[in-house]
Parts: sequence; structure tokens; C-alpha cells
Amino acid sequence: MTLRAVAAASAVLAVWAASAAAQQPAAPATPAAGENAGRAMVMAKCFQCHTDAMFRDARQDRRAWEAAIYRMIGRGGLWTADEIKVMADYLGTDFGPEAKPAAAPAR
Amino acid sequence: MRELVASYLSHSISRRGFLDGLTKTGVTLAAAEAVLGSVSSVSHAQGAAPAPTPPAAPVAAPTAGAAPAVPAAVAGVKPFQGTGGACFAEQLIASGVKYVFGNSASEDAQFYEALVDRPQLKYILTPHEGPGAAMAAGYIKASGQPAIVMQAGVVGMANAIGQMFNAFKEQTPLVCYSYRTDQSRRAGRDGFEEVAAQEQIVQPITKYTWLARRPDMIPETVRRAFKAAWTPPYGPAYISWHSDFNDERARTEIIAQDQVDPRMRVRPNPDEIERAARLLVEARMPLMIVGDEITNAKAVAKAVKLAELLGMPVTQVRQIYANFPETHPLWVGHVPGGGLKSLTFPKDPDVVINVGNKLQHNSPAPIVARGPKFIDMRIDHGSIGNVMLTEVPLVADVGYGLDDLTAAVEGLLTASLRQKAAARAVEVRRFGEQARKLAAQVVNSPDWDQSPIIADRLTHEISRFADPDAIIVHEAGSVALHGFDFNPLGGRELFFYYAAHLGSGVGTAAGVKLARPNQQVICLVGDGSFIFGPTALWNMARLELPVIVVVYNNHAYSGPHSRVINNVPGGRMVQTGQFVHDYLGSPDMDMAAIARGFGVDGEVVQSPGELAAALARARTHTVEGKPYLIDAQVARKGVGWAAKPWIPPIQVAALRQKKV
Repeated sequence: MTLRAVAAASAVLAVWAASAAAQQPAAPATPAAGENAGRAMVMAKCFQCHTDAMFRDARQDRRAWEAAIYRMIGRGGLWTADEIKVMADYLGTDFGPEAKPAAAPAR
Repeated sequence: MRELVASYLSHSISRRGFLDGLTKTGVTLAAAEAVLGSVSSVSHAQGAAPAPTPPAAPVAAPTAGAAPAVPAAVAGVKPFQGTGGACFAEQLIASGVKYVFGNSASEDAQFYEALVDRPQLKYILTPHEGPGAAMAAGYIKASGQPAIVMQAGVVGMANAIGQMFNAFKEQTPLVCYSYRTDQSRRAGRDGFEEVAAQEQIVQPITKYTWLARRPDMIPETVRRAFKAAWTPPYGPAYISWHSDFNDERARTEIIAQDQVDPRMRVRPNPDEIERAARLLVEARMPLMIVGDEITNAKAVAKAVKLAELLGMPVTQVRQIYANFPETHPLWVGHVPGGGLKSLTFPKDPDVVINVGNKLQHNSPAPIVARGPKFIDMRIDHGSIGNVMLTEVPLVADVGYGLDDLTAAVEGLLTASLRQKAAARAVEVRRFGEQARKLAAQVVNSPDWDQSPIIADRLTHEISRFADPDAIIVHEAGSVALHGFDFNPLGGRELFFYYAAHLGSGVGTAAGVKLARPNQQVICLVGDGSFIFGPTALWNMARLELPVIVVVYNNHAYSGPHSRVINNVPGGRMVQTGQFVHDYLGSPDMDMAAIARGFGVDGEVVQSPGELAAALARARTHTVEGKPYLIDAQVARKGVGWAAKPWIPPIQVAALRQKKV
């Protein structure tokens, strides 16, 4: 059964992470002049494991993004409370319920 | 009396057992002893002259002029005569098997018959072959003892294949048997269990597959299966013979397994050890990946010693066991993503040593990226160098390998190198302390108190509840464990899963508890996984295996949900919310009710506030020797979940024209 073959890998992240590593260029660790600090932090912290797919598809408020970041702590993500706040602020604004979905990339 | 004599001759019952059995039939004790005397002389004669059918046991060559050679009895070799089924049972006993995990198979009748007078071989009836095989595998992993799982022909084997696959991937020495009918006297008549060459079905997922060609070869085939399965690297073996052999009588040899087991333990190449040691002592930032071969070799303390000697950080990628104490200052956490680059620390190891980890890759990107020098120490030599550039391959039992490598490192360490290692250890410890503080923030989630419960809250509460030496059997695929601080050196232990055939968790937990009755066993299982293999609950109830089963029930396949979105980002599924493959609700499955159907008490927990009392009830049950199940209602989290997920509109009601 295909489902059985697919269903169990623990790491939702593991597959994402691996494909991210294969597909993504290294993210900048510090914001360039004029760049949003939250965006720079997301690029630096989240793209170690995730592709941009989840950010394109997720539209939720700041609280939900903050909860998502805390879920990643349970999976081994290590951020300070300040970093979590900055990332949640950015994601809640640029990927909030009213933000326009980005176009899917050509595949 | 015939059976008693046969049992005595086959050493299945003692002298006392023989006398007791005979006197129970009305024979006087004196007469019984007389019979015993004559039977004993036959027994000695049999022992002195093995039956001609099988090859005679090796004997010492007669010396010139000596009396005519009388072959001496050979230690560990016992002549035996009986049905094929009895030969099978005898050899299992001689191979050290205590438990047989099986599902009803009428063609194994003579085997069942043989069990009646062999109480040392205990048969555990499992209502489904899949969870039965998982239970056997769990027992083997937790006890380090051999066991066998047996099924009815190809039909039972087909049900067990999923767990055989798991055993193959995780390298568990699980021996499986099922009879075949395609060469029996009724072959070619389209029998309901008949298929040609059934052993070929499992050949790709077993280490060894073989058929006994004659009834007297059954014991030899059994021995070879156990030898193959238990010779490192471990793996499952499958044996079969046509069903008639179980009924036919044979004269054969039963041989103790330790007489044929090579007990292979390989020491690494000393030159490669020297190269590896030099790389490690000269490294700026070495990193050790640990794996299951360490636990299998009982070498955790040796891994700790090497890490401490070098002040070397330690991590792990997906394995069954926790192979390093997670409270140790050099532990830097699991690799959270698919490669070492996802580690927060160290970011730039220049030498990486893997000790006993299979390094499962689920993408083309190598776990150890190109760059660092890579040392791979494993007994599973077949996969060394498959993906990673390997500077130093160390084919070895990792227990010996760690001994030799530690000695070589000690020989190279100068005072200044020791100082460097100590400074590095301080740096690693500093990271570890900070990491633990940051990880503890998980409780600050804004969803912490919500209902349905978030998975992290449930995990957190269980980690606070579990005994200091609890065993956690984990088959909740989308749930990340935290807070347990696993410690294979006397603390909490982990039994995760490595391959992806679902339905192993409950069976594994039952087998683990059978092997470790004096440790608390908690099974964490997702609802999707649970529903593939709940029948082992019945075994828990029948055998009084007091396991606590916690179902993370979000009424969904969370893993496939997320991965499908990742595979088709921004696609029509996301836009419309129409996912056909992941929602298991409507109606919601009641796992506590299912448990009750198997004779296991349980309850549904809806909110975090109910958890403590539910866990306390679970503890009360297990203290009394009873298993308990908690069906915890868990929130669906992640991209694309609607509060009320879409369901494919298949409505048979609209097609009904008759109320039947």
C-alpha cells in the first residue's frame, strides 16, 4: 500500500529539510541594509530545514505563526524569545490572512 | 506410553517427568523404574550411534590397535527421531528460542502437537500476523534473545511481510517461517493457500531465505536461519518447507545453536584505526554521529569515553534507539533536518565520525555534506561509501572499534592536544546548556492550553509522567519527542521505528514488555499507525502485559498531508482545500472503544486539564498488571488544515433505491 510506504516518516521536516538543502541557496545570516530583520531571521533560521513552499502556502495570523515557531522548538529549533517575536511579527504581517499568495514556481 | 518414551528419548522430559507420567497411567513406581531402565539403555545406544540418514557427527579417529571405534556422543549434538513438526520444535529449543509468535496454521498441526510436551517452548497466539511479527521483533530487540514468528502458508506470510520489511530495514534478527503447499501431495490443484515459489516473495526483504528439502533437514534449516539472522549485520531470515514434511517422521540431529554460531565479532583494520585516530586528534571540531550498532554492541559507555577523550560533540540521525545519553554535556541534540547542516552547533565540523548509524537518506543530498573528512565505523559494511565520501572506512564490531580507536587516540594525545580537547568540551557544554534552556521554551507556545491538545503538550506531560527508567515505544510519526532525556546507561530508553510500514507500535510495545516486565513501557502511537495494528492490544490483555498506550489522535495522516503540500506547493489542493488522502475523521474513530473490544480499558481525553488524571488511572491499571489506553484528542496543525476538512463527495445514499 503506497500510503504505508509514505505515511510514517517522522520527520515532516526531514524530507523538507533535505530537499531544502538540495534546492536552496545559502540564506543570509544578517539583514542587508534596509532589509526586514524578521525576514532575514526567517531566511537564516527556517530555511535550514524548510523550502519556501510552506511560506507560500500558509496564510495565518501572527499568533498562529508564533505557535508554528514553537512547534519547531519541539523539533529541535533553537531560538531566543526575542528571535521568536521578530520572526512571528514578520510572518504575521507578510504571510497573514490578508496577504496575497505568491505564485507557485514553475515546475 | 509411546509418547512418554519418545519424549524421554528426545530429552524433552526428565527422568522424573517420565516416572511421573508413567505412574499416572496406573503403573507402579517399581514397574515404571524398570521401564525407565530399559528405555535408558536404548537412549544410550541412540546417543552412541547416530542415525545414518543425516551425516554422522564428527568423531575422533580411532588409534591403531585400539578397540573397535564406538562413536562417542558429541556435546551439543542430540540424535532425534520424530515428526517434522517435532524436529522443528526440538531445534527451536536447541537454538535458544523461548517464545514462538504465531497465527493459526492447520498444516503446522504436528508442531502444535509437539508443543504439548515441551512447555519450555511457549506459543503466543497473535490474532494478526503483522502485529504478531512486530511483537516478536520488539521482544528480540528488548531481550537480545532469539524468537520465531510463524504463519499459515503464503496467506499468513503476506500479512507479516510489512513487519519483515521493517525488520530488514532496521536490521532486526527476526526469523520467520511458514509452510508451503506448492510441492505437497496436493500441489497444482489450485489449493486455497497455494502459490508457486512463495519464498521468492520475501527474498528481497530478508537476509537469508531457504527451503528444507527433506523432513530431516528441518533442524539444519532452522539453525542456519538463526545463524544468518544473528550474524552481524543482523537481519531477518525466512524459512519454509512443504507442509507434508511436518507430518512425516524423520531421524535427524538436533544441535545446540552455539555449536554452529560463528559469533562473528570483527576487529577493525589497525592501519585504518591509526588514520582515524590521527584525523580526530588533529581536528579543529570533530563531530560524532551515533547509531544503533552501538546499542546492539552494548558499547554506549565506550562511545561516551571516546567523545569525552576528544571533547567531541555528539549527535544522531534517525535510528531506533537513543544511543547516547541526552543529558550528557557533549550531546548537541538530534539532527533536526536532513543533514548535519541543520544542526545549530557545531556549524563547521572538519572531521565527522559515524559510529554504527545506517544514515538513512530520504533525498539526494548527503547527510554529511562534501567537505569534512568522514570516518565511517560500522559492521554493516555493505552501505559504507554508498553516499558519502569516506576518508576512513572502519569495518568492525563497533564495540571493538571504539576500544581500538580510543586506545589509538590516547596514544596520540599530547598535553597540548588534551588541552585543546578540554577547551572544546567547554565550548560544547556551553552550547548544550543554552540549548536546553531554549528547548524548554516549548511550554510558552500560545497554543499550550488549547483543546484539542497540541502534540507538544501531550508529549511534555507524558515526559513528566514517565518513570526514570521507562521505555518509550514511539510510532507517532509526525510527533517530535522532547523532554524525555533518554539515557541508554540506565535511564529512559527509546524504541523508535526506522522503516515505514505502519502498525508496528502496539505490537512492538507488547514484545518489549514481554522482554522487560520490570520496566514501565509507554507506547506513543499516531491514530493512523494505531489503526494498522491494534490487535496486539488483545495480547496485552491476555498475557497481562501492563503497557500504557497513548494514541495521538488527530484524525488524520499528518505526515502525508505535509509532504504532499511540499511536493505540490501552491497547487489546486492547497487552493481548494481538497485533500483526498489525509483526513480520517467523520466519523471519528474512538480508539478507547476499540481497546475495550480487545479487553483493554481506556478513555478519551479531550483537554490538557484531563491529562494528569488520565495518566494516573493508566498507572493504577499497570500497577495492577493491566494495560491501559489513552485516546488523546490532538489538534491538527500545519499548512492547509481546515477546521472541518473537506471529504470526497462519495454518497452511496443517493444511489440507493431500496431500503435494504
